[in-house]
Amino acid sequence: MIEKVLDKAVKTREHLNELYIEISKEHLKKVCMYLYENKDALLRLIFASDEREIDGSFRVYYVFSIPGVDRFFIPLISLKGDDLSFPSITELIPSAHWYEREIQDMFGLVPEGHPDPRRLLLHEAFPAQSHPLRKDWGISDDDLKEWGEGLARKEKNEFMKVEGEGVYEIPVGPVHAGIIEPGHFRFSAIGETIFFLEPRLFYTHKGTEKHFEGMSFTEGVRLAERVSGTSSFSHSSAYCMAVERMAGIEIPEKAKAVRTLLLEMERLYNHIGDIGNMCAGTGLAVGYSRGAVIKERLMQLNDRITGSRYLRGINIVGGVTQDIFIYAEDILSILDLVTKEYKGLMKLLLGTVSHVERLENTGRLSKDIAMKMGVTGVAARASGSNDDIRKAHTHLLYDRLVFEAHSSARGDVFARMMVRAEEAECSISMIEALFESSYQGGLAEEVKEIPQHASALGYSESPRGSLFYWVMSDKNGRPLRVKLRSPSFCNWPAVPFAVHGNIVPDFPLCNKSFNLSYSGCDM
Amino acid sequence: MIKEIFKNLAAGKNVISKADLPALSAEEEKKLIDLQKGIDRIFGKSLRIRQVDAGSCNACEWECTALTNPVYDIQRFGIDFVASPRHADLILVTGPVSRQMELALKKTYLATPEPRIVVACGDCTIDGGVYKGSYAVTNGVANVIPVDYYIPGCPPSPGDLLSGFLKLLVTITK
Ligand code: SF4
Repeated sequence: MIEKVLDKAVKTREHLNELYIEISKEHLKKVCMYLYENKDALLRLIFASDEREIDGSFRVYYVFSIPGVDRFFIPLISLKGDDLSFPSITELIPSAHWYEREIQDMFGLVPEGHPDPRRLLLHEAFPAQSHPLRKDWGISDDDLKEWGEGLARKEKNEFMKVEGEGVYEIPVGPVHAGIIEPGHFRFSAIGETIFFLEPRLFYTHKGTEKHFEGMSFTEGVRLAERVSGTSSFSHSSAYCMAVERMAGIEIPEKAKAVRTLLLEMERLYNHIGDIGNMCAGTGLAVGYSRGAVIKERLMQLNDRITGSRYLRGINIVGGVTQDIFIYAEDILSILDLVTKEYKGLMKLLLGTVSHVERLENTGRLSKDIAMKMGVTGVAARASGSNDDIRKAHTHLLYDRLVFEAHSSARGDVFARMMVRAEEAECSISMIEALFESSYQGGLAEEVKEIPQHASALGYSESPRGSLFYWVMSDKNGRPLRVKLRSPSFCNWPAVPFAVHGNIVPDFPLCNKSFNLSYSGCDM
Repeated sequence: MIKEIFKNLAAGKNVISKADLPALSAEEEKKLIDLQKGIDRIFGKSLRIRQVDAGSCNACEWECTALTNPVYDIQRFGIDFVASPRHADLILVTGPVSRQMELALKKTYLATPEPRIVVACGDCTIDGGVYKGSYAVTNGVANVIPVDYYIPGCPPSPGDLLSGFLKLLVTITK
């Protein structure tokens, strides 16, 4: 297929449903555009890796998937020697913009022609010309100290300025009023109306990807579980899946069933909690409290069946540590109760005019922008997309379960609540359906030796949206590169579009309706 | 409106009764009572907490938030989370302190009136936890501001947090 757009033969490599296509820099735009425009492909992620130990090259990978085809098309380019720049595709495919800036920060590869080449992950006090994900990178104690002090301006990174009559700036954060994660928001407002919002994130950047490289693949699970607290299980599942695919391990049916079950349990407690939390944005205390009670009930259930309120410690490379199906009675009886309580909550919310009125038409994100910005998950589906990794690249036992990707064309806060509500109900029925069959096999497959320089993708549909890991082993079978792409990294850039034209006091509500993770995004 | 509220209350509509809530163990209930006594005595019935996330994975904050849900309902003891450090008696820090949060944490600390208590919540705050050794974290809160008390756990459950606060009260009175 790709051969059609290229004159000379291209080198391709196939691994499971991943098709790697090696192309030259000159062909990059053409190939990407072909996939994006002619095939309506979604850009899942772009990442770089330092593969100089293999052949002296850095590589940049562009992962696309075409709707309806369970296959990843991955054009990749190699950069060698002195010329460490690559053509920016942001002007053609806007969702590329953050990825390219990230690559520039972390690898020092320059996206040529990028419309906004400022720093992204690393703040101003981080040394210039210093790129943490390069293999030969190091940093002096003095530089570390200055970075922490945060006062030095080693590479300027100004906020965008909006000028004109009556425009004023409201800086908020990084420490916010509530019990939430840190990030800075710079509003340019006219009266009460938000004209422009520029978020500056990455305050919680913990060097996670680099940190993975210092661990073995099996140890990495613990870190993956701690990338974003409320998506612990989705993260560990996607990470384990990537490592298993790389090592050629097929996990037992039983382990697949446990993972599917807990992924849905995770979605359930998040979605119901989020619906409750949105009430905090509208001042509906009773809704907030009732949501919190249901969430707490589910968290306590999590604790009883897995020993962790956040479903940690279950996933391991090769399978799972426990058979969760022995708790059928506990799980099903709690689900019964939760269903009743949850239906009552939704009745209350939809019957409260003051609540619904605040949600309707607030924080609208059009389908066009959502698609261009590469928005994923609930936020994308509430803006008319029907992309769901569970369907698009079906894995685990999702092919045996009946469910649909719930979608709404409204694009407002109300739509994001309703999509969550429908998905929560769907998760309950999926969990119940999982208990109707029995599953073969043990809990985990043994991890054999990990091959040299092998790589693979792993993915899951987390409560916030599609989540990807890409792992590659080095010559000793240890991690050469672990790329993680959390859904929040895709969705944050879309928030400013959704709040444009809304009033400042509605920002917390809009923000809650997206419920993005800072830690997951900041890595 | 007020009439409506009383009518609902009387009818038990939209009211969460104690029997509907997930139960706490007898031990946890006892902890709560002891905690209340301590707060009444030491903080004049009001302990105000400012929570600062210094790069956590966010699970620790959700456990703090859970303390305010109707099951634990920490507000009934006069404990509450406040929006500004200037209103706080205690700063509750989570996370290994990422380098990019160091300055903000220091500023929050300095903005809190003395005498201030710093409680570090979660394994990350002790030595960086799972992130220990990463270039982008400072390996623990004590490397940035003085810490009075640690509550370990990854994350500490709401119950752990309650017993942590309780032990803290005992330490302070000594
Ligand atoms: S202690 Fe554990 S739960 Fe808390 S922030 Fe650190 S990794 Fe997350």
